[in-house]
Amino acid sequence: MQRFVVLPTTRTGWLLLAAFVAVIGAGIWPVIGWINRATLLLGLPLIVVWSYLVIFACVAVMAIANHCIEWEDEPHE
Amino acid sequence: MNSVWPLVITLVYVAIAMLIGLRARAGQHMNTLEEWGVAGRSMGPVTLYLLIAAGSVSAYTFMGAPGWAYSKGVAVFYVAIYLAYLALVAWYFGPKVWAFGERFGHVTQASAIADRYQSPGLGALAALVMSVGSIAYAVLQTVGSAYILFVMSGGWIPVWLGVVLVLSCIAVYLYISGQRAIGRTNAFQGILMLIVAWAVGLWAVHSATGGLSFGAVFERIQAEHGEFLTLPGAGGDMSFSFWTTSIIVSMLSFMPPVWTQWMSASSARTIRRSATWLPTYYVVILPMVVVGFIGIYSLPELERADTVVLEYAMAHLPVVLVGLLGAGTLAASMSSSEPFIHSVALSWGKDVLQPLLGLSNARTAMLTRWLILPLMALIIAPLAIAEPGSLVMILLIGLGFASQVLPAFIGMFFWPRASWLGVMAGVVTGFLVTVALTTLWPHPLGIHAGFWGLMLNLPVFIVVSLVTAPAPADVIERFFRIAAPHGLTRLGRAIPDERESPGWSR
Repeated sequence: MQRFVVLPTTRTGWLLLAAFVAVIGAGIWPVIGWINRATLLLGLPLIVVWSYLVIFACVAVMAIANHCIEWEDEPHE
Repeated sequence: MNSVWPLVITLVYVAIAMLIGLRARAGQHMNTLEEWGVAGRSMGPVTLYLLIAAGSVSAYTFMGAPGWAYSKGVAVFYVAIYLAYLALVAWYFGPKVWAFGERFGHVTQASAIADRYQSPGLGALAALVMSVGSIAYAVLQTVGSAYILFVMSGGWIPVWLGVVLVLSCIAVYLYISGQRAIGRTNAFQGILMLIVAWAVGLWAVHSATGGLSFGAVFERIQAEHGEFLTLPGAGGDMSFSFWTTSIIVSMLSFMPPVWTQWMSASSARTIRRSATWLPTYYVVILPMVVVGFIGIYSLPELERADTVVLEYAMAHLPVVLVGLLGAGTLAASMSSSEPFIHSVALSWGKDVLQPLLGLSNARTAMLTRWLILPLMALIIAPLAIAEPGSLVMILLIGLGFASQVLPAFIGMFFWPRASWLGVMAGVVTGFLVTVALTTLWPHPLGIHAGFWGLMLNLPVFIVVSLVTAPAPADVIERFFRIAAPHGLTRLGRAIPDERESPGWSR
């Protein structure tokens, strides 16, 4: 039992895990270092714009994941 | 500020919150932990969205975050990012926690831990140590509430009276309506905070620049104080490593009220739907932070950075907006303190006193409701009035500890082999490291103390788990039928239906 763990069991599951990891990676180092510039975009500091992009990317990833889960739960021929 | 209107508006908010909290009971009997503790698992997606959102947006958003913007700059946005990541955590773990609660009757985080590891002692320990951070958090929010009443009344309501007033209101509706009161009042407070934050933010920008665009504020900051627009910030103390590890540690801190909120949902799907849209709420932070940036050049001599919004509002905004700001800030602090007070009472009753005194469920439910009164009167109120200087340190240690309980959740959601001794060893090791690196040698190499704690905690947890006995097979099976509905994976080889094989419980 010591080698058993919970991991995704389908290709969709792995893709969703990769998407979750990607949005988390987007908000931390080293990515945050790449956008760490004192420039403005749409009137806001680049880090602020990036932070809200990451935040809305989280919404998008979860919305897609909901769609996948509900599609898997529905009966298919 | 001589007008009486800010105080009147703030007190009207308190009265409305009280009314909503009292009416939230809606004829339900509050004599079971299922009802008083988790609202009969009845909350729909909109209420749950606002419950979690308002609970996570504390007075920090109205005072601390603008203060950080004022003193450090864009470094404050790590908070917005980790709050969004907490939604990812809620999306994945929330439905499983809800299913544990619904099938096994858990109403607290510690009761789930006690059940998974078949160790009431571990559950009680988790309840007690988690309550250190929870109480410190509730005290800080109460201090914030009392401070707002003090400012809005022009000093007429002293801090001690503000503490008594706010806690009395919360105590009455919390006792009568339990988690339903928290759900309804947080929904009201969440909407109020969103409106107030944007109204105050836009008005402040208009008064500072003559327009409504945030761009004019940041163009001036860029020209005069460019260091506020990048890390490590104007204070020079928010390095990439501290930004990153603070986000990770905060994301992995499974605070008990959050579990209670998940367990209050009407279904697992409700949690997913609420969590999906939860990050959208954090647009509430932006306008408040912009006021902090305005303060950099319009209020350069402030003694306390976290008063920047209040000071600016009182100097430049109409009294009605100042009153609404008071109400919004009070809403933020009350909506964050009441879930913590409720969850501490719930956990002390269910996870400490019930096993210790051998109480029935009915007596435990009755005792738990009453527990909020001594908890507020004997612990939270005196601490809030005394405002000990070490309170923030207690909170930091408490939150650092919260992240150290991670092994308990790894064993609940990912790794069936985890044992209670492994969890205990990991938690104690991680806690000691976190305490030492918060107090004696704060955040070595610019890395969050809680992250250092986890780096020692996790290896100890794994090694001790491997050399000690796991929980009984039937317990592991019922937990992992929920945590892994498609089966477990053997490392290096996928076996989707492995749980059906005799090897599953080996």
